[in-house]
Amino acid sequence: MQPDLPGPASSERAGLYLHVPFCTSICPYCDFAVLIAGEERRREYLTRMATEAELYRGCGLVFDTVYVGGGTPSTLSGDQLGGLLEQVRSSLAIDPGARLHLEVNPEDVDPSRVREWRGLGATFVSLGVQSLNDEVLRRLGRRHDAARARRAATLLLEAGLPTVSLDLMYGLDGQSDAQWRRDLGEAVALGPQHLSCYQLTVHDGTVFGRRARRGELHELDDDGQGRLFELTHRFLADRGYEGYEVSNFAAGREHRSRHNQKYWDHTPYLGLGPSAHSYQVGRRWWNRRKLRLWAADLGEGRRPLAGEEVLGREELALEAVLLGLRTSAGIDLERIRSSFGVDVVAANQERIRSWSARGLVRLGAGRLAPTVAGMAVADALAREVELPVCGG
Amino acid sequence: MDSVRTFCIIAHIDHGKSTLADRLIQHCGGVSSRDFRDQLLDDMDIERERGITIKSNTVTLSYAARDGRTYQLNLIDTPGHVDFSHEVRRSLMACEGALLLVDASQGVEAQTVANMYLALEYELEMVPVINKIDLPSADIERVKEEIADDLGLDPDGAVQCSAKLGTGIDDVLEAIVHRLPTPKGDPEAPLQALIFDAEYDPYRGAVLLVRVMQGRLHAGQPIELMHTDARYEVEEVGLLQLKKVPVSELAAGAVGYLIAGVKSVSDINIGDTITDAERPAPTPIPGYREAKPVVFASMYPITNEEYEDLGKALEKLKLNDAALIYEKDSSAALGFGYRCGFLGLLHLEVVQERLEREYDLPLILSAPSVRYRVTLTDGRTTMVDNPSYFPDPGVIERVEEPYIKAAIMMPDRYIGPVMELCRERRGEGTTFHYLAVGRVELTSQLPLAEVLFDFNDRLKSVTQGYGSFDYQLTDYRDTDVVKVDILVNGEPVDALAQLVHRDKARPRALHYCERLAATIPRHQFKIAVQGAIGGQIIARSTINAFRKDVTAKCYGGDITRKRKLLEKQKKGKKKMKMVGSVEIPQSAFVAVLKTDKS
Repeated sequence: MQPDLPGPASSERAGLYLHVPFCTSICPYCDFAVLIAGEERRREYLTRMATEAELYRGCGLVFDTVYVGGGTPSTLSGDQLGGLLEQVRSSLAIDPGARLHLEVNPEDVDPSRVREWRGLGATFVSLGVQSLNDEVLRRLGRRHDAARARRAATLLLEAGLPTVSLDLMYGLDGQSDAQWRRDLGEAVALGPQHLSCYQLTVHDGTVFGRRARRGELHELDDDGQGRLFELTHRFLADRGYEGYEVSNFAAGREHRSRHNQKYWDHTPYLGLGPSAHSYQVGRRWWNRRKLRLWAADLGEGRRPLAGEEVLGREELALEAVLLGLRTSAGIDLERIRSSFGVDVVAANQERIRSWSARGLVRLGAGRLAPTVAGMAVADALAREVELPVCGG
Repeated sequence: MDSVRTFCIIAHIDHGKSTLADRLIQHCGGVSSRDFRDQLLDDMDIERERGITIKSNTVTLSYAARDGRTYQLNLIDTPGHVDFSHEVRRSLMACEGALLLVDASQGVEAQTVANMYLALEYELEMVPVINKIDLPSADIERVKEEIADDLGLDPDGAVQCSAKLGTGIDDVLEAIVHRLPTPKGDPEAPLQALIFDAEYDPYRGAVLLVRVMQGRLHAGQPIELMHTDARYEVEEVGLLQLKKVPVSELAAGAVGYLIAGVKSVSDINIGDTITDAERPAPTPIPGYREAKPVVFASMYPITNEEYEDLGKALEKLKLNDAALIYEKDSSAALGFGYRCGFLGLLHLEVVQERLEREYDLPLILSAPSVRYRVTLTDGRTTMVDNPSYFPDPGVIERVEEPYIKAAIMMPDRYIGPVMELCRERRGEGTTFHYLAVGRVELTSQLPLAEVLFDFNDRLKSVTQGYGSFDYQLTDYRDTDVVKVDILVNGEPVDALAQLVHRDKARPRALHYCERLAATIPRHQFKIAVQGAIGGQIIARSTINAFRKDVTAKCYGGDITRKRKLLEKQKKGKKKMKMVGSVEIPQSAFVAVLKTDKS
């Protein structure tokens, strides 16, 4: 079930995602494809990344964003990271002016590393701060403390990178509203151009998941979660950060994550590395999750696929709706109508009217956009939408 | 014929009837140990789980007695619960004798007594059997006293056994052979055969279980069902020896099965008499009565597409369950369904569970109701069991509701709480008398409607499990009934409406509101759940709008997983009932029928 190589060149600029699966420790809430590995496996990984990139040579995509995520990309040395990017550039068509988005952890940030990242052309660095409260950091199982996070943030901000983002988490068991407000306030005071604030989700198969099942960890109830969500959006909006997505806030449009937006509107993207997902013209495929199996496939010249799907128009329309409702820009109604043959407004008139009346959405300028309250229940709204595909 | 004995086992729930039946079968070699399952006769999951026998099954055993002769023993299994007295009756009609099974530690209980009185109506010979004599708590002397005092039987004739260990089973079999009468009946007389049960075979249609009273039954014979006038030709007759074994004929005294190309289940009435169409008996077997349902509720499928399946499933269930009645019904809130009549609340639950398990039909059930007699101002009377058809109070002259005489047996230390329970349930003329030292029988005249709602559970709870309960319908009495509507966001949900005594209206409405508020998931808007009489709101609860329903992360391009989850949830929503813009899960309709205590 190997999919064909991506089709002819698209006029849109695509996004390239590179998954670095390595971490120095596994966080108790994380359900991503990550592992702790020695130098040898890192070298093997880098070799195989080059192999995988080479498989897509001539695929017709031109990339204008490169996102190095994980895992913890900053556990790779500057040389390793540089080598990886160089190999990818030699196989794939990457715009000279492409944005480079890098995820880093506070414990890896020092002046020389920052210089290296700048030298590689990083335009957007996300710093995994999580919290500026030592007690919270300890409970999240993080290896850094608040002082270290502040220092790292300051170093990045002073380095003159175009966009620095601080990643925070909230909604933890026992975290008070006041505590979270304080965390947010301190983060804002550091002056980042971007903030990502993720409400804690407890996943099965994580340490937190097991604790929750044993009753040792309590998830916030619905009211509490909603209250914190609105608090977060209001707090940051008041300080000049637009909540352009459920968990993402930018001080100005130019600081939004351009790469992430490609996921939300069916722009083509190619993902390399274990568990990475790719999408192009109605087709999505994804890699094997385990580093060993991913590497083994590549070692034998096979594409390391775990699965793929060809999306029908109804599925594409549903994705467009569920992703659109997560963003302040909302659903592009004309795109859904012309590309997938679904007239969302006509099929949901009564529903949209009642959502508007309840202050969950706004309809206008060819878009159905959620309010903050609507964004907080985006999944529920998407579940209700009817998406009848018209013929032709 | 003098080597045939036909009998049933009468017992209270849990007194070991199924275990004893298994032992008898095993002892007679009716089944190899490989085929042997515990509680062989209870072949439905529900029966096994609840420890009750719902359907009567029958088996013919071959017993080599101590006198050197071999006897044919027809064991007819009977349901033990009060709701199924109709099924008990027709099983009893097929028997000459009964084993009256009493638990050596629990003693005689109300259902044992009730069923014994039924058995006496049919002049059955009774052999008391004291079971579970191996239990450390067994008190054989006390139980013997109860057999004498409560049942009026000779305690010295009681056979002692432990069905679990298999001790005393020989004595039970010998008692069956020597103390139960042989069947009477003339094989040369015109045919009279009693249909006492039926089962549905997907390949052969209805299989009728019969007891031949007079005459002979054989393949090729034209037959007529005397109460329905339907005619058939016999295709096959045979014995029920765990498997069906065809024989050339069944003569007077025999118990067996009959296949006659009966396709339409509505052609059969359990309890009907089969006769020879060309040489008919002058009268049917006496004692036939139609089962009279006393509890009514509507059943709705979750989706409209399942409506047809529900109809078919009910039709099939009816074949094994003569007491179940149903007719088409429709609800503004829930669409098409069936209004069904049941013998009691347990019967209702059993039917519901069978539909869900055997036919994979999840259901929504309306509040069960009794049948009220309503006299209108113009002098007309009408029977109403469906709140939707309850007349406008302005045209009602009077309403009467069915009453029962409840008999409750228990140790005397529980008299206080049980009398209080009866008072709570509008009981009248509550009295008690001592059956034996420390043991009383309390009787009370109660509205049937008060018993429908968790009475048995409450009784078990206040008597710590020692109280047992039986009832019979007595009469209709004046009552003050109101129709309580349940409104969800201002819209009445007709399937939740109910007829309630005025004094109980408010607490019942509040119970419904609270239960619904606890089971209807949050929506994007606030939902008011209200109870009302006419236009007047008497109870209310609120379901707050949910405020958060969105995943924090949706990155790395794994949109597929997210979309698939959403698609699954969308499908799940289709399984809920929409009332206005509110989705009510099936569980909400179930939850309202439960009390806080259960």
